[in-house]
Amino acid sequence: MTAVYEVEKLVITIRGVTVARDVGFRIQQGECVALAGASGSGKSQCCLAPFGLSPGVASGSAWLLGKDLVGLEERRLRAIRGRDVGFVFQQPLTALTPHLTIGRQLSEAWQQAGAPRPTRAELAEALARVGLDRPGERLEQFPHRLSGGQRQRVMIAAAIAHRPKLLIADEPTTALDAAIRADILGLLSRLRAEEGLAMLLVSHDLAALADHADQVVVLNDGRVEESGDARTVMATPSRPYSRALIAASPRLDSPRAPLPPVGAPLIEARGIHVSFPRPGWRRGRVEAVAGADIHVAEGEALALVGGSGSGKSTLARAIARLGPIDRGDVRWRGRPLPARQAMPPAARRGIQPVFQDPVASLDPRWRVRDIIAEPLRHLRPELDGARRAARVAAALEEVGLDPALADRRPATLSGGQAQRVAIARALVSDPEMLLLDEATSALDVLVAGRVLDLLESLQRSRRLALLFITHDLAVARRLCHRIAVLDQGKIVEEGPAERLITAPAHAATRKLVAASH
Amino acid sequence: MKLPLAIIGAILLAALIGPALLPWSHDAIDWGAIRAAPLSPGHLLGTDSVGRDLLARTLVGTRVTLAVAVAAALVALLIGVAWGATAGWVGGRVDEAMMRVVDALYALPFMFVVILLMVLFGRSILLVFIGIGVVEWLTMARVVRGQLMALKERPFVLAAEAAGARPFAIVARHLLPNVAGVAIAYLLLTVPQVVMIESFLSFLGLGVQEPLTSLGILVKEGADDMDVAAHALLLPGGVLVTILICLTIAGERLRDRFS
Repeated sequence: MTAVYEVEKLVITIRGVTVARDVGFRIQQGECVALAGASGSGKSQCCLAPFGLSPGVASGSAWLLGKDLVGLEERRLRAIRGRDVGFVFQQPLTALTPHLTIGRQLSEAWQQAGAPRPTRAELAEALARVGLDRPGERLEQFPHRLSGGQRQRVMIAAAIAHRPKLLIADEPTTALDAAIRADILGLLSRLRAEEGLAMLLVSHDLAALADHADQVVVLNDGRVEESGDARTVMATPSRPYSRALIAASPRLDSPRAPLPPVGAPLIEARGIHVSFPRPGWRRGRVEAVAGADIHVAEGEALALVGGSGSGKSTLARAIARLGPIDRGDVRWRGRPLPARQAMPPAARRGIQPVFQDPVASLDPRWRVRDIIAEPLRHLRPELDGARRAARVAAALEEVGLDPALADRRPATLSGGQAQRVAIARALVSDPEMLLLDEATSALDVLVAGRVLDLLESLQRSRRLALLFITHDLAVARRLCHRIAVLDQGKIVEEGPAERLITAPAHAATRKLVAASH
Repeated sequence: MKLPLAIIGAILLAALIGPALLPWSHDAIDWGAIRAAPLSPGHLLGTDSVGRDLLARTLVGTRVTLAVAVAAALVALLIGVAWGATAGWVGGRVDEAMMRVVDALYALPFMFVVILLMVLFGRSILLVFIGIGVVEWLTMARVVRGQLMALKERPFVLAAEAAGARPFAIVARHLLPNVAGVAIAYLLLTVPQVVMIESFLSFLGLGVQEPLTSLGILVKEGADDMDVAAHALLLPGGVLVTILICLTIAGERLRDRFS
């Protein structure tokens, strides 16, 4: 049986720098090969460069259905990409055009592959096939109404719309929460079986790969460290690098250091309701948060966990006055917090956010120095230029960044560095609480581990309260005193972290605990 | 992108400083050299039917055409960015209403609007470019609105709000600078369109008025005499076509870089 895709002695250079050398693997029909490694290991380049999707220049050979892609001109590659290969990328947040409805974008994917304009029923069926609920309604929605997992399902539906032979999934689950990750990988496996797709999966999450890949190729610094049967490599990694990668994922049973003491109540929210208008011309609203109560004390860390679309970000943003709110009472140190539009700078200073996507949360046109200084400019206008500069330098040092980075722009930073800049911006105005919205989940395993170490040390040194939105119970358990589980806009279970994990009472909690093992 | 811009730059430079270096102004009549052929003494490119130096007239005409085009494109940029940014930032019903206004204006035959303005307010060069700018901002407004809608969902906008920035500061300091690249690309694409419109109006006799001249007037005069003096048509026509092609190529390449 011939391979659908076979790579031999692949060498990739970007502007004279070799990022991959002598990489080789083959994928049969219906088979899944995984490329694993930390960021910078060249795994994405290996899967994108032969298709002309990265600035990298490939040499060696990459045979797709008996045709060598290396050296083909862009025009021919484009035809191949449109016809024989489907792509799913890491960032479902940015891969969809914000101002077109899901139906329009899906229909476009169809037509670009040369198919006739699909009917509504066909589109809805395609969405149903990738496991989206209420597919008919989704067609009318804009991407921002969908959660990360739902968007990734739409991307998968678009990628397989033209029935490709090979599906390339570049970190398809890295930006998603744990429960959803397992679902998306399961979906990919199911589609692979149903359609007889060959699949190239790129990931740094070795644990997840074991269940879904047949073969695994571990890359380190552009070279193949180890390759072979996925289960064998996972069970008995022969190289130290593979072992480090496997060990980097936090576990529910790892020992944890004692948490800092808890002080007086800081923020109390009662009966929070948030809803969004229904899409299209129909009247009515969809409830995203339906009567949630949460409270966080000084120095306390509360984890908000739940699947995508459970309303955890919406709830956190509503009480931090960074998102819409219908009704509900929010008190800061016992006094009502002003509404979003009326927040005085003094109140804004109390809570500062850090978001999931580090690159998108920094203005691409600003320098790091100005990005970090922005809260000072608005929230601490009494500081003069020199004092501001000193604080920016101190913040950079506090998050472990080289002061020389101050003059760089976000595009030149790595994901880990960008997230540290975002943390420095949040800290510079001396807040009492950080709102961490999936702050580590878009980062590479090894990098996320170091950012968590930083957050843990800040939690202790600054006595910061944390509102920690996450899907990863192991991470929540490491940093947080309490965990609140959200499901469909309601808090279904809340309690001390250890108790909740060892004895989950609600079905949603049990599902999350199961997904974290 | 470099070559087309270099050509535009050269034409611009010639149009700006050229007329000062020539012995003849664009409206001076050389009674001794009516309908002079190209390369005749004193008139490098010859003269027209009333003895005016063609090189001087072409340079001044280019200057006027480009000045009108740039001014009108800037008016379009100003209105388009303001309108599009407001619609995109406020969103909801306001956005719906503002974009329906744009749709309605799109549906108007804009040449008709310009001619109507001329008739109502009389012929003046100022009115030519205000009129053109007023109809040319629609595409800019749509583009800016689309960009802004995409940008305002990005977390850095939320981060700026958390940092205490007021809505005006967010739009002015975060959103508009990020739209600038695309807006400049469309500005570059608006200029050739306006050059076309201005030349067409002048050709019809509605635009720039004698004794001032523009490429459109020169093309018209050249066309009247083209059976006896083809160069009088080919020269301004050639400059016009070169400007249009170069600006369009540069604008499209810039636009592709941002989208």
